[in-house]
Amino acid sequence: MTELLFTLAFLGEVWSFVEENADELAAGLRRTLTVSAIAIAGAFAIGLVLGAARAYRIPVVSQLAAIYVEIIRNTPILVQIFMLYFALPQVGIRLEAFTVAWLSVMIWGGAFNTENFRAGFEAVPARYREAGLALGFRGAGTFLNVTLPIGGRIALPSSINTYISVVKNTSLMYVIAYPELTTTALQINALTLETVETFTVLAVTYLVIVWTLSASIRLLEGHLALPEDAR
Amino acid sequence: MTLPDWIEPVARYMLEEGLANTLKVSAVALVGSALIGITLGTLLTIHFLPTRALIRLYIEVWRGLPILVTIFIIFFALPSVSDRLRFDSLTAAAIGLILWGSAQVAEATRGAVQSIPREQHEAAAGLGFGWVGRHVFVILPQALRRLLPPIVGLLVNIIQNTTIAQVIGAPELLETAERQVERLTFEGEQHAIEIYGAVMVVFFIISFPLTRLAAYLERRLI
Repeated sequence: MTELLFTLAFLGEVWSFVEENADELAAGLRRTLTVSAIAIAGAFAIGLVLGAARAYRIPVVSQLAAIYVEIIRNTPILVQIFMLYFALPQVGIRLEAFTVAWLSVMIWGGAFNTENFRAGFEAVPARYREAGLALGFRGAGTFLNVTLPIGGRIALPSSINTYISVVKNTSLMYVIAYPELTTTALQINALTLETVETFTVLAVTYLVIVWTLSASIRLLEGHLALPEDAR
Repeated sequence: MTLPDWIEPVARYMLEEGLANTLKVSAVALVGSALIGITLGTLLTIHFLPTRALIRLYIEVWRGLPILVTIFIIFFALPSVSDRLRFDSLTAAAIGLILWGSAQVAEATRGAVQSIPREQHEAAAGLGFGWVGRHVFVILPQALRRLLPPIVGLLVNIIQNTTIAQVIGAPELLETAERQVERLTFEGEQHAIEIYGAVMVVFFIISFPLTRLAAYLERRLI
Protein backbone atom coordinates (compact mmCIF):
# COMPACT_ATOMS: atom_id res chain seq x y z
CA MET A 1 0.00 0.00 0.00
CA THR A 2 2.73 2.45 0.94
CA GLU A 3 4.60 1.43 -2.20
CA LEU A 4 1.57 2.22 -4.30
CA LEU A 5 1.25 5.63 -2.69
CA PHE A 6 4.95 6.26 -3.23
CA THR A 7 4.63 5.37 -6.92
CA LEU A 8 1.58 7.60 -7.33
CA ALA A 9 3.36 10.49 -5.63
CA PHE A 10 6.35 10.04 -7.97
CA LEU A 11 4.09 9.92 -11.04
CA GLY A 12 2.46 13.13 -9.78
CA GLU A 13 5.85 14.80 -9.52
CA VAL A 14 6.81 13.65 -13.02
CA TRP A 15 3.52 14.96 -14.37
CA SER A 16 3.91 18.40 -12.79
CA PHE A 17 7.50 18.45 -14.12
CA VAL A 18 6.17 17.81 -17.64
CA GLU A 19 3.49 20.49 -17.22
CA GLU A 20 5.98 23.10 -16.00
CA ASN A 21 8.46 22.42 -18.82
CA ALA A 22 5.99 21.42 -21.54
CA ASP A 23 6.97 24.16 -24.01
CA GLU A 24 10.71 23.48 -23.98
CA LEU A 25 10.26 19.70 -24.00
CA ALA A 26 7.86 19.91 -26.95
CA ALA A 27 10.28 22.18 -28.85
CA GLY A 28 13.14 19.75 -28.19
CA LEU A 29 11.06 16.76 -29.27
CA ARG A 30 10.00 18.62 -32.41
CA ARG A 31 13.66 19.29 -33.31
CA THR A 32 14.57 15.64 -32.71
CA LEU A 33 11.74 14.52 -34.99
CA THR A 34 12.53 17.14 -37.68
CA VAL A 35 16.22 16.25 -37.81
CA SER A 36 15.35 12.53 -37.83
CA ALA A 37 12.79 12.95 -40.62
CA ILE A 38 15.23 14.83 -42.89
CA ALA A 39 18.02 12.34 -42.16
CA ILE A 40 15.78 9.30 -42.72
CA ALA A 41 14.50 10.64 -46.05
CA GLY A 42 18.10 11.34 -47.14
CA ALA A 43 19.38 7.98 -45.90
CA PHE A 44 16.57 6.26 -47.82
CA ALA A 45 17.55 8.01 -51.06
CA ILE A 46 21.29 7.36 -50.55
CA GLY A 47 20.65 3.71 -49.68
CA LEU A 48 18.41 3.18 -52.71
CA VAL A 49 20.80 4.72 -55.25
CA LEU A 50 24.13 3.49 -53.85
CA GLY A 51 22.65 0.11 -52.86
CA ALA A 52 21.56 -0.40 -56.49
CA ALA A 53 24.98 0.77 -57.73
CA ARG A 54 26.66 -1.77 -55.43
CA ALA A 55 24.31 -4.61 -56.33
CA TYR A 56 24.68 -4.00 -60.09
CA ARG A 57 28.44 -3.33 -59.74
CA ILE A 58 28.22 -0.08 -61.72
CA PRO A 59 31.86 0.82 -62.38
CA VAL A 60 33.44 3.68 -60.36
CA VAL A 61 30.17 4.49 -58.51
CA SER A 62 30.20 1.05 -56.89
CA GLN A 63 33.82 1.36 -55.73
CA LEU A 64 33.31 4.91 -54.42
CA ALA A 65 30.18 3.75 -52.57
CA ALA A 66 32.15 0.88 -51.02
CA ILE A 67 34.82 3.30 -49.75
CA TYR A 68 32.11 5.63 -48.35
CA VAL A 69 30.39 2.71 -46.58
CA GLU A 70 33.61 1.35 -45.06
CA ILE A 71 34.83 4.74 -43.81
CA ILE A 72 31.50 5.58 -42.15
CA ARG A 73 30.89 2.13 -40.67
CA ASN A 74 34.40 1.77 -39.27
CA THR A 75 34.71 5.16 -37.57
CA PRO A 76 32.62 6.43 -34.62
CA ILE A 77 29.73 8.74 -35.57
CA LEU A 78 30.72 11.08 -32.74
CA VAL A 79 34.12 11.66 -34.38
CA GLN A 80 32.33 12.29 -37.69
CA ILE A 81 30.22 14.96 -35.94
CA PHE A 82 33.40 16.50 -34.46
CA MET A 83 34.93 16.57 -37.96
CA LEU A 84 31.94 18.38 -39.48
CA TYR A 85 31.41 20.86 -36.66
CA PHE A 86 34.80 21.46 -35.00
CA ALA A 87 37.37 20.63 -37.73
CA LEU A 88 35.87 21.92 -40.99
CA PRO A 89 35.96 25.60 -39.87
CA GLN A 90 39.78 25.25 -40.03
CA VAL A 91 39.45 25.20 -43.85
CA GLY A 92 36.76 27.89 -43.85
CA ILE A 93 33.69 25.64 -43.95
CA ARG A 94 31.38 26.73 -41.14
CA LEU A 95 28.17 24.70 -40.84
CA GLU A 96 25.28 25.60 -38.56
CA ALA A 97 24.49 23.21 -35.70
CA PHE A 98 21.16 22.34 -37.36
CA THR A 99 22.93 21.48 -40.65
CA VAL A 100 25.48 19.28 -38.89
CA ALA A 101 22.65 17.65 -36.94
CA TRP A 102 20.75 16.30 -39.95
CA LEU A 103 23.77 15.97 -42.25
CA SER A 104 25.86 13.82 -39.90
CA VAL A 105 23.11 11.29 -39.15
CA MET A 106 22.06 11.29 -42.82
CA ILE A 107 25.61 10.43 -43.98
CA TRP A 108 25.81 7.77 -41.25
CA GLY A 109 22.37 6.27 -41.97
CA GLY A 110 23.02 6.39 -45.73
CA ALA A 111 26.12 4.21 -45.37
CA PHE A 112 24.27 1.55 -43.37
CA ASN A 113 21.27 1.77 -45.71
CA THR A 114 23.50 1.24 -48.75
CA GLU A 115 24.43 -2.12 -47.26
CA ASN A 116 20.78 -2.89 -46.37
CA PHE A 117 19.57 -2.21 -49.91
CA ARG A 118 22.56 -3.92 -51.55
CA ALA A 119 21.81 -7.08 -49.57
CA GLY A 120 18.10 -6.75 -50.40
CA PHE A 121 18.66 -6.35 -54.15
CA GLU A 122 21.22 -9.17 -54.24
CA ALA A 123 18.76 -11.48 -52.45
CA VAL A 124 16.25 -11.21 -55.32
CA PRO A 125 16.47 -14.58 -57.13
CA ALA A 126 18.03 -14.27 -60.61
CA ARG A 127 15.09 -16.17 -62.13
CA TYR A 128 12.74 -13.30 -61.19
CA ARG A 129 14.92 -10.86 -63.13
CA GLU A 130 15.12 -13.26 -66.04
CA ALA A 131 11.32 -13.51 -65.97
CA GLY A 132 11.13 -9.69 -66.11
CA LEU A 133 13.47 -9.60 -69.12
CA ALA A 134 11.49 -12.40 -70.80
CA LEU A 135 8.33 -10.29 -70.39
CA GLY A 136 10.02 -7.61 -72.51
CA PHE A 137 11.18 -5.22 -69.76
CA ARG A 138 14.52 -3.53 -70.34
CA GLY A 139 17.17 -3.29 -67.59
CA ALA A 140 15.63 -0.22 -65.92
CA GLY A 141 12.11 -1.61 -66.25
CA THR A 142 13.17 -4.90 -64.67
CA PHE A 143 14.78 -3.00 -61.78
CA LEU A 144 11.75 -0.79 -61.15
CA ASN A 145 9.11 -3.50 -61.58
CA VAL A 146 10.86 -6.59 -60.22
CA THR A 147 14.08 -6.00 -58.27
CA LEU A 148 12.98 -2.85 -56.41
CA PRO A 149 9.60 -4.08 -55.09
CA ILE A 150 10.96 -7.48 -54.04
CA GLY A 151 14.45 -6.39 -52.87
CA GLY A 152 12.98 -3.34 -51.14
CA ARG A 153 10.71 -5.61 -49.10
CA ILE A 154 13.67 -7.83 -48.16
CA ALA A 155 15.64 -4.75 -47.08
CA LEU A 156 12.75 -3.20 -45.12
CA PRO A 157 13.36 -4.64 -41.60
CA SER A 158 17.09 -3.88 -41.61
CA SER A 159 16.55 -0.40 -43.04
CA ILE A 160 13.94 0.41 -40.36
CA ASN A 161 16.51 -0.69 -37.77
CA THR A 162 18.91 1.80 -39.34
CA TYR A 163 16.24 4.55 -39.08
CA ILE A 164 15.74 3.68 -35.40
CA SER A 165 19.50 4.11 -34.86
CA VAL A 166 19.34 7.42 -36.75
CA VAL A 167 16.72 8.71 -34.28
CA LYS A 168 18.79 7.52 -31.30
CA ASN A 169 21.96 9.08 -32.73
CA THR A 170 20.36 12.53 -32.92
CA SER A 171 20.90 12.59 -29.13
CA LEU A 172 24.64 13.00 -29.88
CA MET A 173 23.88 16.56 -31.10
CA TYR A 174 24.27 17.40 -27.41
CA VAL A 175 28.01 17.81 -28.17
CA ILE A 176 27.33 20.62 -30.65
CA ALA A 177 24.68 22.16 -28.34
CA TYR A 178 21.89 21.75 -30.89
CA PRO A 179 18.76 21.96 -28.69
CA GLU A 180 17.09 18.67 -29.60
CA LEU A 181 15.42 16.51 -26.94
CA THR A 182 18.52 15.40 -24.98
CA THR A 183 20.19 18.83 -24.98
CA THR A 184 16.89 20.44 -23.94
CA ALA A 185 16.39 17.95 -21.12
CA LEU A 186 19.90 18.57 -19.77
CA GLN A 187 19.35 22.33 -19.91
CA ILE A 188 16.11 21.95 -17.95
CA ASN A 189 17.94 19.71 -15.48
CA ALA A 190 20.64 22.33 -14.96
CA LEU A 191 17.98 24.94 -14.11
CA THR A 192 15.51 22.89 -12.05
CA LEU A 193 17.84 20.24 -10.54
CA GLU A 194 14.89 17.83 -10.80
CA THR A 195 17.27 15.15 -12.04
CA VAL A 196 15.19 12.01 -11.54
CA GLU A 197 12.11 13.58 -13.15
CA THR A 198 14.15 14.92 -16.09
CA PHE A 199 15.74 11.60 -16.95
CA THR A 200 12.50 9.67 -16.43
CA VAL A 201 10.76 11.88 -18.99
CA LEU A 202 13.75 11.79 -21.36
CA ALA A 203 14.07 7.98 -21.24
CA VAL A 204 10.33 7.33 -21.57
CA THR A 205 10.10 9.66 -24.59
CA TYR A 206 12.92 7.86 -26.44
CA LEU A 207 11.48 4.45 -25.57
CA VAL A 208 8.04 5.45 -26.90
CA ILE A 209 9.57 6.61 -30.22
CA VAL A 210 11.87 3.58 -30.59
CA TRP A 211 9.25 1.01 -29.54
CA THR A 212 6.68 2.53 -31.91
CA LEU A 213 9.15 2.31 -34.80
CA SER A 214 10.12 -1.29 -34.04
CA ALA A 215 6.45 -2.27 -33.73
CA SER A 216 5.95 -0.77 -37.19
CA ILE A 217 8.46 -3.30 -38.58
CA ARG A 218 6.17 -6.16 -37.56
CA LEU A 219 3.04 -4.40 -38.87
CA LEU A 220 4.64 -3.49 -42.21
CA GLU A 221 6.17 -6.94 -42.62
CA GLY A 222 2.75 -8.60 -42.43
CA HIS A 223 1.23 -5.95 -44.67
CA LEU A 224 3.93 -6.02 -47.36
CA ALA A 225 4.66 -9.77 -47.32
CA LEU A 226 4.97 -11.28 -50.80
CA PRO A 227 2.06 -13.59 -51.70
CA GLU A 228 4.28 -16.67 -51.63
CA ASP A 229 5.66 -15.82 -48.16
CA ALA A 230 2.24 -14.99 -46.74
CA ARG A 231 0.85 -18.37 -47.70
CA MET B 1 61.87 14.25 -43.38
CA THR B 2 61.09 15.48 -39.90
CA LEU B 3 57.65 15.80 -38.39
CA PRO B 4 56.43 19.20 -37.16
CA ASP B 5 57.18 19.81 -33.49
CA TRP B 6 53.56 19.85 -32.28
CA ILE B 7 52.88 16.23 -33.32
CA GLU B 8 55.04 14.25 -30.89
CA PRO B 9 53.51 15.37 -27.52
CA VAL B 10 49.98 15.24 -29.02
CA ALA B 11 50.42 11.71 -30.36
CA ARG B 12 52.08 10.53 -27.15
CA TYR B 13 49.24 11.83 -24.95
CA MET B 14 46.50 10.51 -27.26
CA LEU B 15 48.01 7.03 -27.48
CA GLU B 16 49.32 6.58 -23.92
CA GLU B 17 46.32 8.12 -22.15
CA GLY B 18 43.45 8.15 -24.67
CA LEU B 19 43.87 4.94 -26.63
CA ALA B 20 44.85 3.03 -23.48
CA ASN B 21 41.60 4.09 -21.76
CA THR B 22 39.56 3.38 -24.90
CA LEU B 23 40.93 -0.17 -25.04
CA LYS B 24 40.49 -0.67 -21.28
CA VAL B 25 36.83 0.42 -21.31
CA SER B 26 36.21 -1.65 -24.47
CA ALA B 27 37.68 -4.79 -22.87
CA VAL B 28 35.68 -4.40 -19.65
CA ALA B 29 32.50 -3.65 -21.60
CA LEU B 30 32.98 -6.63 -23.93
CA VAL B 31 33.58 -9.13 -21.10
CA GLY B 32 30.71 -7.71 -19.00
CA SER B 33 28.31 -7.67 -21.96
CA ALA B 34 29.18 -11.24 -22.93
CA LEU B 35 28.85 -12.67 -19.38
CA ILE B 36 25.59 -10.90 -18.51
CA GLY B 37 24.15 -11.22 -22.02
CA ILE B 38 24.80 -14.96 -22.37
CA THR B 39 23.33 -15.61 -18.90
CA LEU B 40 20.19 -13.53 -19.54
CA GLY B 41 19.76 -14.90 -23.05
CA THR B 42 19.93 -18.50 -21.79
CA LEU B 43 17.45 -17.76 -18.98
CA LEU B 44 15.16 -16.21 -21.59
CA THR B 45 14.65 -19.66 -23.16
CA ILE B 46 12.95 -20.93 -19.95
CA HIS B 47 9.18 -20.90 -20.33
CA PHE B 48 8.46 -19.09 -17.07
CA LEU B 49 6.51 -15.92 -17.63
CA PRO B 50 7.83 -13.59 -14.84
CA THR B 51 11.54 -14.13 -15.68
CA ARG B 52 10.86 -13.84 -19.39
CA ALA B 53 8.91 -10.61 -18.90
CA LEU B 54 11.68 -9.11 -16.74
CA ILE B 55 14.50 -10.07 -19.13
CA ARG B 56 12.45 -8.85 -22.12
CA LEU B 57 11.98 -5.50 -20.38
CA TYR B 58 15.74 -5.30 -19.64
CA ILE B 59 16.57 -6.01 -23.29
CA GLU B 60 14.03 -3.60 -24.78
CA VAL B 61 14.88 -0.74 -22.40
CA TRP B 62 18.68 -0.81 -22.78
CA ARG B 63 18.52 -1.51 -26.52
CA GLY B 64 15.90 1.21 -26.98
CA LEU B 65 17.64 4.07 -25.17
CA PRO B 66 20.40 6.05 -26.90
CA ILE B 67 23.66 5.01 -25.17
CA LEU B 68 24.32 8.69 -24.42
CA VAL B 69 21.07 8.87 -22.42
CA THR B 70 21.96 5.66 -20.54
CA ILE B 71 25.38 7.07 -19.66
CA PHE B 72 23.80 10.38 -18.56
CA ILE B 73 21.39 8.47 -16.31
CA ILE B 74 24.28 6.58 -14.68
CA PHE B 75 26.52 9.62 -14.37
CA PHE B 76 24.01 12.36 -13.42
CA ALA B 77 20.80 10.72 -12.14
CA LEU B 78 22.06 7.80 -10.03
CA PRO B 79 24.15 9.97 -7.64
CA SER B 80 21.02 12.01 -6.85
CA VAL B 81 19.23 8.78 -5.84
CA SER B 82 22.00 7.52 -3.56
CA ASP B 83 25.51 8.76 -2.82
CA ARG B 84 26.80 5.19 -3.07
CA LEU B 85 25.88 5.21 -6.79
CA ARG B 86 28.51 7.80 -7.68
CA PHE B 87 30.91 6.57 -10.39
CA ASP B 88 33.88 8.17 -12.13
CA SER B 89 33.37 8.94 -15.82
CA LEU B 90 35.25 5.89 -17.21
CA THR B 91 33.31 3.50 -14.95
CA ALA B 92 29.99 5.16 -15.78
CA ALA B 93 30.74 4.77 -19.48
CA ALA B 94 31.70 1.10 -19.04
CA ILE B 95 28.45 0.40 -17.12
CA GLY B 96 26.39 2.15 -19.82
CA LEU B 97 28.09 0.13 -22.56
CA ILE B 98 27.58 -3.11 -20.59
CA LEU B 99 23.83 -2.45 -20.19
CA TRP B 100 23.50 -1.82 -23.93
CA GLY B 101 25.90 -4.59 -25.01
CA SER B 102 24.43 -7.25 -22.73
CA ALA B 103 20.97 -6.52 -24.16
CA GLN B 104 22.37 -7.16 -27.66
CA VAL B 105 24.14 -10.36 -26.57
CA ALA B 106 21.05 -11.63 -24.70
CA GLU B 107 18.91 -11.34 -27.82
CA ALA B 108 21.55 -13.12 -29.95
CA THR B 109 22.03 -15.85 -27.30
CA ARG B 110 18.32 -16.61 -27.16
CA GLY B 111 18.33 -17.32 -30.89
CA ALA B 112 21.56 -19.33 -30.71
CA VAL B 113 20.37 -21.50 -27.82
CA GLN B 114 17.02 -22.14 -29.48
CA SER B 115 18.80 -23.18 -32.69
CA ILE B 116 20.38 -26.18 -30.92
CA PRO B 117 18.25 -29.28 -31.70
CA ARG B 118 16.01 -30.70 -28.95
CA GLU B 119 17.86 -34.04 -29.09
CA GLN B 120 20.93 -32.33 -27.59
CA HIS B 121 18.87 -31.27 -24.55
CA GLU B 122 17.35 -34.74 -24.25
CA ALA B 123 20.70 -36.53 -24.62
CA ALA B 124 22.30 -34.30 -21.98
CA ALA B 125 19.34 -34.83 -19.65
CA GLY B 126 19.66 -38.58 -20.29
CA LEU B 127 23.29 -38.41 -19.17
CA GLY B 128 22.09 -37.05 -15.84
CA PHE B 129 22.87 -33.33 -16.31
CA GLY B 130 20.58 -30.89 -14.53
CA TRP B 131 19.39 -27.67 -16.22
CA VAL B 132 22.56 -25.73 -15.36
CA GLY B 133 25.00 -28.53 -16.29
CA ARG B 134 23.10 -29.23 -19.50
CA HIS B 135 23.43 -25.62 -20.63
CA VAL B 136 26.97 -24.96 -19.41
CA PHE B 137 28.54 -28.19 -20.73
CA VAL B 138 26.40 -29.16 -23.72
CA ILE B 139 24.18 -26.43 -25.15
CA LEU B 140 26.22 -23.22 -24.73
CA PRO B 141 29.49 -24.61 -26.17
CA GLN B 142 27.56 -25.40 -29.35
CA ALA B 143 25.61 -22.13 -29.29
CA LEU B 144 28.88 -20.21 -28.94
CA ARG B 145 29.77 -20.98 -32.57
CA ARG B 146 26.70 -19.12 -33.71
CA LEU B 147 27.32 -16.34 -31.21
CA LEU B 148 30.86 -15.59 -32.35
CA PRO B 149 30.04 -13.42 -35.41
CA PRO B 150 27.55 -11.17 -33.55
CA ILE B 151 29.98 -10.84 -30.62
CA VAL B 152 32.82 -9.73 -32.94
CA GLY B 153 30.34 -7.28 -34.50
CA LEU B 154 29.42 -6.09 -31.01
CA LEU B 155 33.11 -5.53 -30.19
CA VAL B 156 33.39 -3.15 -33.16
CA ASN B 157 30.32 -1.24 -31.95
CA ILE B 158 31.57 -1.15 -28.34
CA ILE B 159 34.98 0.22 -29.41
CA GLN B 160 33.33 2.93 -31.51
CA ASN B 161 30.76 3.77 -28.84
CA THR B 162 33.43 4.31 -26.16
CA THR B 163 33.78 7.76 -27.78
CA ILE B 164 30.39 8.63 -26.23
CA ALA B 165 32.24 8.71 -22.89
CA GLN B 166 33.86 11.92 -24.19
CA VAL B 167 30.58 13.70 -23.45
CA ILE B 168 31.01 13.14 -19.68
CA GLY B 169 34.72 14.02 -19.89
CA ALA B 170 36.18 10.51 -19.66
CA PRO B 171 39.77 10.64 -20.96
CA GLU B 172 39.33 8.21 -23.88
CA LEU B 173 40.81 8.78 -27.35
CA LEU B 174 38.35 11.44 -28.56
CA GLU B 175 38.50 13.39 -25.29
CA THR B 176 42.31 13.42 -25.28
CA ALA B 177 42.18 14.56 -28.93
CA GLU B 178 39.81 17.40 -28.03
CA ARG B 179 42.04 18.51 -25.14
CA GLN B 180 45.04 18.67 -27.49
CA VAL B 181 43.07 20.57 -30.16
CA GLU B 182 42.03 23.11 -27.53
CA ARG B 183 45.53 23.42 -26.09
CA LEU B 184 46.99 24.07 -29.56
CA THR B 185 44.19 26.54 -30.40
CA PHE B 186 45.00 28.35 -27.15
CA GLU B 187 48.63 28.53 -28.28
CA GLY B 188 47.48 29.93 -31.63
CA GLU B 189 47.76 26.82 -33.81
CA GLN B 190 44.90 25.16 -35.73
CA HIS B 191 45.24 21.39 -36.07
CA ALA B 192 41.67 20.10 -35.61
CA ILE B 193 41.48 18.38 -39.01
CA GLU B 194 44.79 16.54 -38.56
CA ILE B 195 44.02 15.47 -34.99
CA TYR B 196 40.38 14.36 -35.49
CA GLY B 197 41.46 12.81 -38.79
CA ALA B 198 44.07 10.81 -36.88
CA VAL B 199 41.35 9.66 -34.45
CA MET B 200 39.31 8.41 -37.42
CA VAL B 201 42.34 6.59 -38.82
CA VAL B 202 43.05 4.86 -35.49
CA PHE B 203 39.43 3.68 -35.18
CA PHE B 204 39.43 2.55 -38.81
CA ILE B 205 42.63 0.52 -38.34
CA ILE B 206 41.06 -1.24 -35.34
CA SER B 207 37.52 -1.67 -36.72
CA PHE B 208 38.10 -2.62 -40.36
CA PRO B 209 39.85 -5.98 -39.73
CA LEU B 210 37.23 -6.81 -37.08
CA THR B 211 34.26 -6.13 -39.41
CA ARG B 212 35.98 -8.29 -42.04
CA LEU B 213 36.48 -11.01 -39.42
CA ALA B 214 32.81 -10.84 -38.37
CA ALA B 215 31.68 -11.17 -42.01
CA TYR B 216 34.11 -14.07 -42.57
CA LEU B 217 32.96 -15.90 -39.42
CA GLU B 218 29.34 -15.44 -40.45
CA ARG B 219 30.03 -17.12 -43.79
CA ARG B 220 32.16 -19.88 -42.25
CA LEU B 221 30.19 -20.81 -39.14
CA ILE B 222 26.55 -20.61 -40.21
